[in-house]
Amino acid sequence: MVQEVTPVTVRIRFFKTGNLQYISHLDLVRTMNRIVTRAALPLWYTEGFNPKPKMVFAAPLSIGTESLTEFMDLRLTERVEPALVMEALNRNLTDDMRVTEVYYPETRLTDLKWLRYDITIDTEGADAALAETCEALLAKEQVLTEKKGKNGEFREVDIRPLIRTTKVTAESGALRLFCILSGDASAFLNPELVIRYLKKTAGILSDPCIVREGYRIVRMEAYREDMTPFR
Amino acid sequence: MTEKTHLSSVLKSVEKPGRYTGGEYNRVMKDKAAVKCRFAFCFPDTYEIGMSNLGVRILYDVLNRDPDIWCERAYAPWTDMKERMETYGLPLTAVESGDPVSDFDIVGFSLHYELCYPTFLGMLKLAGLPLLSSERGEDGPIILGGGPCTFNSEPVADFFDLFNIGEGEEVLHEIVRLYIRMKEDGAYTRTAFLRAAAGIEGVYVPSLYEVRYHEDGTLYPYVPKYPDVPTRVRKRIVADLDEAPYPEKLVLPYVETVHDRIVLEVYRGCIRGCRFCQAGMIYRPIREKSPETLCKSARCLYENSGYDEISLISLSISDYSRLPELTDKLLAWTDEKRVSLSLPSLRLDSFSEELMKKVSSVRTGGLTFAPEAGTQRLRDVINKNVTEADLERAVGIAFRGGKSNVKLYFMNGLPTETLVDIEGIAAMSKKVIDCYYALPKEERPRGVGVTISVACFVPKPFTAFQWEKQDTFEALAEKQEHLRQCITDRRIRYTYHDAKTSFIEAVFTRGDRRLSRAILRAVELGAYLDAWDECFDFDRWMQAFSDAGVDPAFYTTRGFGLDEVLPWDIIDPGVTKEFLLRERAKAYREETTPSCAEHCSGCGANRLGGKTRWCRK
Repeated sequence: MVQEVTPVTVRIRFFKTGNLQYISHLDLVRTMNRIVTRAALPLWYTEGFNPKPKMVFAAPLSIGTESLTEFMDLRLTERVEPALVMEALNRNLTDDMRVTEVYYPETRLTDLKWLRYDITIDTEGADAALAETCEALLAKEQVLTEKKGKNGEFREVDIRPLIRTTKVTAESGALRLFCILSGDASAFLNPELVIRYLKKTAGILSDPCIVREGYRIVRMEAYREDMTPFR
Repeated sequence: MTEKTHLSSVLKSVEKPGRYTGGEYNRVMKDKAAVKCRFAFCFPDTYEIGMSNLGVRILYDVLNRDPDIWCERAYAPWTDMKERMETYGLPLTAVESGDPVSDFDIVGFSLHYELCYPTFLGMLKLAGLPLLSSERGEDGPIILGGGPCTFNSEPVADFFDLFNIGEGEEVLHEIVRLYIRMKEDGAYTRTAFLRAAAGIEGVYVPSLYEVRYHEDGTLYPYVPKYPDVPTRVRKRIVADLDEAPYPEKLVLPYVETVHDRIVLEVYRGCIRGCRFCQAGMIYRPIREKSPETLCKSARCLYENSGYDEISLISLSISDYSRLPELTDKLLAWTDEKRVSLSLPSLRLDSFSEELMKKVSSVRTGGLTFAPEAGTQRLRDVINKNVTEADLERAVGIAFRGGKSNVKLYFMNGLPTETLVDIEGIAAMSKKVIDCYYALPKEERPRGVGVTISVACFVPKPFTAFQWEKQDTFEALAEKQEHLRQCITDRRIRYTYHDAKTSFIEAVFTRGDRRLSRAILRAVELGAYLDAWDECFDFDRWMQAFSDAGVDPAFYTTRGFGLDEVLPWDIIDPGVTKEFLLRERAKAYREETTPSCAEHCSGCGANRLGGKTRWCRK
């Protein structure tokens, strides 16, 4: 008789910064496949024609966003000491991506509801007045912005319910946004949308072709619905 | 704004920025102050293509094994990135250190395809280096070329300081060591170095030859400018592939590349003698690796990469004399590790049920065969040595094994081709459909489909067809249209290559030094990444030829005289001209030549030595 293996899920917390912000989510998944294989962990594979290690990521990052706090659930065939998993993974990583914590989770990845971001937008002549304007724009009852739909067409959506808090300050040559945005899988708010909204309504930058230039987005922390840190 | 913020803002505005940032796992980092020679290995195509190139993987490893050398990589930026680099004045840099390519001692380019010539020049321009060898002074880097196109590098000879002809494992290292020695001895000047390098077997220094043309445009034999310069440059080979270095680690790209997997090179050379095929000639003699070496390599690469696919490659994988032994040895551990084996296209006459069971790419993917020509007569002319019976047998196995889609590769414009041969392509495709319906209903999968992909013949140097004329592209287009009309079955899908691309390819593959002006002109007119359909512009090429005073038809639709001096006569690839002439004569008599495994045809490649089981000395 074949013994049924009961898989265990281990949670990997890691950061993805610097040059690795330019790696798409799809490429991250492919890379992670190879990393967990090299780490020689007792991987649980998906069934079927093309078996792969079972990995689930919370709130995938878009290209150009850095993160200090990413979560991935990895399925193993047996329980392994978290410290050993962490050591094996870090041996196979480069400096822009490191595992910071490994544990057996008590929550589900879907319990992650909010994400805190630190955003810097290069803005010529940024001052306290402009910062105030931006903050007020995001605090309005409705924040209407264009979002690219599934078929590639743009439609207007209200992103205000997906913004929890925002604080905007001015630094030399830049606006700094500290905000908590929805990280919920069903109502995810891409921080680029907030930047695009401000650029358009506050007239920060006029060239729409280079929406991705001149900003930095760092995901700082993740929360549950009750705003306790997600773990 | 500092340079750093510049770079990051550029990255956020280009497609697939991950191909410019480097930082890959297993890349080689060294202390630049502690090495004696910095070598920039440039690939004149995008990162995704370059990272998949086996030659680059091997030579990167070979050079970096020497602690005195730091070999880094550089690739051609996509057009959007190139534009921004030009706007912001960002130079071409190496991936590892981020240092400008112009700071390096030697800059090597891998020439894998003729249409990458403008890209090569584009990279030199981005690096801020003078394009012509004669314009480069003492201080700048040495520009070196290697790869398959160097078997006739004349169209780009004026841009390069030297070429490495043949396999680079040994000779490239010898070139770099010579550079280091001359720098240390204080004997280095650009001219002294090139003169000394010309003495290394497998090195071709184009500036050391006098090149003259007859009034009709054909060549006089090249004359060496000095008595110590070889009259012919013999290509280098690695004698024993079991002893040759093979990478133990692969630089692992974060972004998806074309061949994102472990590549095992099983053997070099080819026992077949297809008369249109350059690779089958220039990589001779045949040298195999042992299954032991290959398995060791595979295991090591797997552990250092985590890839879940191993691809066995060589020119005709089923001709490997120990293939069953190799696949059994590999499958002994790959199945358990969920690693799949894949093979490139297979020969019709060697496809078997056993192979289909073992190899997952064959198990899960579609099946591809290359009959190349539509009639037995033409297949005999090109010495393909497969029959319609082979096709029927192979697709029968495929259909019974649950495959419903078969892809067939053919060529248009082959010497002696007539419309009958074109109609034969349609008939063969129809035959595949008939084979499907000949099977009992319960033995065949649902929904048969045949895809035929037809390329255009390009006469290549060092093949039996090197003297042949190419069809005009009007003639090729006519043949393509005729074939389209012959295919009436909707289960047959027909695709074909653009004849205009093949025309430009033919110009450069058989070209001489006068073409350098045309390439320069094309680059001035904006040519870059011409290997990509979206960047290729035929009219721009024709403009460039006209501006440079070059008639492209001289190299394509003109048959070359059998006693004419050929631009590539300066290279000795092992295979002799006498052999190629014999093969050409046999082609016109519609006679075939047996494979090296059956009978030695005296091609001449065994003069080069090499550990081989096929060639008698």
